[in-house]
Amino acid sequence: MLVAGVAERYTDLVTTVFSSPIAMKAWFATAALALAGVQVITAARIYGRVNFLPERGPTVARVHRWSGRLAFVCTLPVFFHCVTILGFQTPDARVAIHSIVGTFLYGVFVAKVLIVRDRSLPSWALPTAGLTLASLLLVLWLTSSLWYFTTVRFGF
Amino acid sequence: MGRGWRPVLVGGAVVVCVFALAEAQVFAPSQPAAAPTATGDVGRGQTVFRENCAGCHGDAGQGGVGPQLAGSGLDAGQVTSAVQQGRGVMPAGLVSGQEQADVVAFVVSISSPSQ
Repeated sequence: MLVAGVAERYTDLVTTVFSSPIAMKAWFATAALALAGVQVITAARIYGRVNFLPERGPTVARVHRWSGRLAFVCTLPVFFHCVTILGFQTPDARVAIHSIVGTFLYGVFVAKVLIVRDRSLPSWALPTAGLTLASLLLVLWLTSSLWYFTTVRFGF
Repeated sequence: MGRGWRPVLVGGAVVVCVFALAEAQVFAPSQPAAAPTATGDVGRGQTVFRENCAGCHGDAGQGGVGPQLAGSGLDAGQVTSAVQQGRGVMPAGLVSGQEQADVVAFVVSISSPSQ
């Protein structure tokens, strides 16, 4: 513990809206996962894998980019609480899996962003990175938000 | 080394940084300075307990997935510490503020070994 009082102030801020930091994280992670779902669907449309979206043009690309940006923003308050306040923990399988996968999330995110900007890489690199990132988010949601909603409470 | 490895290397560096940050727990809450007394409202605490804690500890603190609290002899300081810091699989900060004070009062009220 290096800086005293930050956790308490963070909790005070969060509890102006949510019942607890854990409830806040559960809902922000749910929002991030939903937006990741939008990312996967729009990416599949861009790659021509699904046809139920109206067009393949700039609107789909714009939705894809903004859903990704919003998903990233949604993970930030969760990251702050999980990483800087709770830290890496392994008391049981659920928490251990959550900690390990969470450690990799931003690394895969950064790799994916770099892959997007590098057109010299093979065509499979970007969908692989995107699906890996979405899968990590899903595992994180299953080992935290779903646990909270089904074990503790379903509410704000 | 080819340019194609750059995303993997940078991503790996980020993973190491995140792990180091998590290990440091730079903003972990401070330990309670002294064992506080239970100043919350037991009735309200029971409601908060049922909403946030009973899923693991049972409606009356009889235990379940989480340990038994009824008759456990926990004092206010120990309960406050567990709520603030988390314990085992229980995450820190499930409740806070007045809700924390109330739930601590309730848990202390059922923790008496005579219960």
